[in-house]
Amino acid sequence: MTSALPASCTSRRTARPLLVAASLGCALGAAPAVADPLRLRADALATTASPTGLLVLDAGGATEPGLSAEAVVWIAGGHALDDSSHGDVLVIAVEGHSRDGTRAARLGRFVATLGALRPVHLDGGSARLRLPERIDVELCAGVPVVPGLSTGRPSDWLVGGRLARRIGDWGSAGVAYEQRRDDGRRVTEEIGLDAGASLGRRDDVGARLAYDLINPGLAEVGLTASHRASSVRTELYALHRAASHLLPATSLFSVIGDVPAQRAGAVITWTAAPRLDVIADAGARRVDSDYGAELTLRARLKLDPRGVSAVTGELRRSGVGNDMWTGARGSGRFALPYAFAVSTELELVRPDQARGRGSLWPWGLAAVSWDHGPWQAAVAVEASASPEYRSRLDALFQLARRWEAP
Amino acid sequence: MTFRRIAVGTLLCGLVACAGVLGLTTRGSSREFPHRAHVVAGVSCTRCHAGIDTLPTGGSATPQAPDGSPALHLPDDASCTTCHAKPHDTRSCLGCHVAPTALAELAEARDHLIFDHARHLTGTNGNCMRCHTGVADGDDHMRPLMTTCFRCHSDATRDARKCEVCHKDLNESGTVPATHLAHDGDWMREHGSRAASSADLCESCHKQAFCASCHGVTAPALPSVRRFADPFAASVHRAGFLARHSLEARSEPGKCASCHTPDRCESCHTQRKIAGDQGASPHPRGWVGLSAADNQHGREARRDPVSCAGCHSGAGEALCVTCHVVGGVGGNPHPPGWSSRQPLSNLPCRLCHTTGTTGTTGLVRPSASGARAR
Repeated sequence: MTSALPASCTSRRTARPLLVAASLGCALGAAPAVADPLRLRADALATTASPTGLLVLDAGGATEPGLSAEAVVWIAGGHALDDSSHGDVLVIAVEGHSRDGTRAARLGRFVATLGALRPVHLDGGSARLRLPERIDVELCAGVPVVPGLSTGRPSDWLVGGRLARRIGDWGSAGVAYEQRRDDGRRVTEEIGLDAGASLGRRDDVGARLAYDLINPGLAEVGLTASHRASSVRTELYALHRAASHLLPATSLFSVIGDVPAQRAGAVITWTAAPRLDVIADAGARRVDSDYGAELTLRARLKLDPRGVSAVTGELRRSGVGNDMWTGARGSGRFALPYAFAVSTELELVRPDQARGRGSLWPWGLAAVSWDHGPWQAAVAVEASASPEYRSRLDALFQLARRWEAP
Repeated sequence: MTFRRIAVGTLLCGLVACAGVLGLTTRGSSREFPHRAHVVAGVSCTRCHAGIDTLPTGGSATPQAPDGSPALHLPDDASCTTCHAKPHDTRSCLGCHVAPTALAELAEARDHLIFDHARHLTGTNGNCMRCHTGVADGDDHMRPLMTTCFRCHSDATRDARKCEVCHKDLNESGTVPATHLAHDGDWMREHGSRAASSADLCESCHKQAFCASCHGVTAPALPSVRRFADPFAASVHRAGFLARHSLEARSEPGKCASCHTPDRCESCHTQRKIAGDQGASPHPRGWVGLSAADNQHGREARRDPVSCAGCHSGAGEALCVTCHVVGGVGGNPHPPGWSSRQPLSNLPCRLCHTTGTTGTTGLVRPSASGARAR
């Protein structure tokens, strides 16, 4: 890596202005050039927390049937919200598909998904083919995205594919493979299995499994099965994740063994009244030799038929071992005349072990928003006490405008 | 006695108010239409739903309703009174004899579905029950499921995600198919398993920006920050997540890495002066020590090595192998039964196995300064 660093840095510096220009050109210039249906949205966000100003431009549209484009770019001033970069491209992609939908391809920066394998943010291309006998083929290849308006190193690349078979009109099953190289070295090689099915009108199931081929072992497994009966939906779930398999194989931390974490439980969603939903989640966690409970009870009451105004209340018990915590949360949004709305959210968390970081962590936010035609605006005050700050008061401002070509 | 009356009155008023808030009163004042009784009595569907077999639903050719919108082919009072000669009420029949949601659903279907009853009646030999299978259960299930359509129609249209063949303004409508609406319960946890086998189904509504707002490594801000005025927006970072994120991360090892790159921890902690050269150590007391009791780091590292890699990746890994080497204070870093298909010449093996051989003969004890970085 040391020897390759200067070359990669040079390529990044060269690529930055080009990428910025291309991104902004696509986001800003595409709108008036073509018709139906093109959209452009600009979001300005400012917060005193960092303090940070953020401008997000989101553009997209279809230039002609079967061909569409999408771009999201952002520029931050002050302290960036997530890292040291002050601007980047989230998405810039062109997608095309055949008239009958059997062939589709995407090129640019996007999130690639391959069945049971973790989604990857990629600079590259992907394709999907629908073959006879209900067989689907998905392929993707490219350079994993690195933050900071750079294009990554030429020796970093990822290639993957998924082969799936649709079963009747009620399910599908697939197998996926992905290999990722970092500076030419193989850091990830996984195989994934996925299946999903709707069993009649009331039942459906989904399953995914990712297996690490470099350091053999299960990386992630997820199972879910749900049943709907009248106003009640019941879901059973189970999760298994071995964090050591999520690391690049070149990391020293990948050699310290396979200590999986598991979680299983049931979620019941009950429409108790036409405007009242109650959700209960009861489960258990295991991390190494520690066990814990995952208990959530949440209710949401809509104050109008569409749920524009609503209030929610939630009680939660979560964590494992010494990291258990209990929390209560309430939130509400109330529509006002002239397209105004007020919303508020309050949370109180009590960790089982304070460890000198405060025995209660309250958090609250009150916001006023205005949504009228193409304009959206909001202002909020956020107050909290946390392990990091004894007390903190921040303000947030947001202004958005959207344009659509007829 | 007076107090009791007041208490009972207050309770009744409270119950009535609650019923209104919960949306119970609307349902109580209307009834579902007894379709089943009419079918059993031999009344054909088209006798009441006049014109449905000859005119398209919606569109300019359809008769207009009083408000100017295309008609829904619902029976009027005159249709009812041809049989029910002595109605019990002077109000409109449909004012009460219909489920509260049924009329709204019908209007949504008319406005957002491209559908022609007349053509379908020919194909089904006039048997409405072939599609309206739930009619006997009440008005709540009058609209057939999308899967019903594909009993006869080719799957190719659905598989090609050509929604516009049947749907208009899908994103704005209330006619999103039931198979697309499983976003209840704990959807943040569930969506990964659901999307694994049907990602293209998700893409029929959600654009790339939606996925990338969480899974993109260049996302500018947390979705909850960007949508702070919507307390009901789904996000794993809702409310005071910043305060409890360390507890949540330790309870679900590796979950953060599903969306974030490992260096996200370091960049944020460095910015907040919790880590880095000039910051305090994020580790608690007893993190590293010579006795087992004063050694939390090994247990935590085994549970969630992704968190460790967040700061100690790359050259920082050499810190570990200064102690964790055969013959060193930390001992063999591999657990019992460890095996790997990695060539010893690859990283991270070659940090210790410098000669590319197995066993202790090929091991060297690297120093923090002398170990080779990735």
